[in-house]
Amino acid sequence: MNLAEGVQIVSFGLLAAMMLGAALGVVLLSNVVYSAFLLAGAFISAAGLYLLLNADFVAMAQVLVYVGAVNVLIIFAIMLVNKREDFTPIPQAWIRKTATAVVCAGLFALLSTMVLATPWAISTDATVPSGSMVVIGKHFFTDFLLPFELASVLLLMALIGAIVLARREFLPDLEEADLQQTMLTLPERPRELTPAGSNPGSHSK
Amino acid sequence: MFVLSGYEYLLGFTLVCSLVPILALTAAKLLRPSRRGPERRTTYESGMEPIGGAWIQFNIRYYMFALIFVIFDVETVFLYPWAVAFNQLGLLAFLEALVFIGILVIGLVYAWRKGALEWS
Repeated sequence: MNLAEGVQIVSFGLLAAMMLGAALGVVLLSNVVYSAFLLAGAFISAAGLYLLLNADFVAMAQVLVYVGAVNVLIIFAIMLVNKREDFTPIPQAWIRKTATAVVCAGLFALLSTMVLATPWAISTDATVPSGSMVVIGKHFFTDFLLPFELASVLLLMALIGAIVLARREFLPDLEEADLQQTMLTLPERPRELTPAGSNPGSHSK
Repeated sequence: MFVLSGYEYLLGFTLVCSLVPILALTAAKLLRPSRRGPERRTTYESGMEPIGGAWIQFNIRYYMFALIFVIFDVETVFLYPWAVAFNQLGLLAFLEALVFIGILVIGLVYAWRKGALEWS
């Protein structure tokens, strides 16, 4: 084993460990904000794995779209809907937990048998010599030109739809008071002027 | 075959970058005086004093900024291969990319005219 292969294997191990840890954290942590940020960690690890597979465009798109956009949307959605509540424990929660565990274990077993049973055709030569990005760019402007331009129209539709849905005049009137309330209770207020020499940390709220 | 050819610098930078926070936090832990007090646990030492919890419901208008950001983020994904292969594509591809950008500029103008970019 030469140096390059060693580096590759070590990188794969680190990325896989990061991914497993982040994914477990997403599921197991009770604070949903931590879960959202750990999801970004899992996405970044997946991008690293794509890089190890020589798929640079997919890795770039993964970072840009999933970490940059999807995760931002998830965090914003958490900020919008999340109010801290005291949840009462469900009676006989162990039945649900057992059912979930059985379903998840079955899914895992199914997927692992599929992974082990599939005869993976591993190509030994690099079919895309250096940079799949250039090849993708050429395809975009020759035989995939129409989908490329249609993607722009699709994005335009998404943008206009988002604006139409999110504009104030389409919100029901009963939320007016709530919105006003939310704006007024942003959690900051100017610090009172304390006389010189007094301990600024002593006054409590 | 080393599949990571050309990514040696990325690997090096990643190693250096992951060392920076570890070194900074360790050095700070070694150097700083250890003091306890209510002031130390506040969010910003010299800024506004936070009141209430951070777990409030935020204004829905933040979400629209996020949505618009997502649209233009995806546009970047489409334009990136064009930028990389720009030298081999020629004038026609340039015009086609201008059409692509133009269609999205219509959306930007719409958002602007509708006041979606302003905090009213």
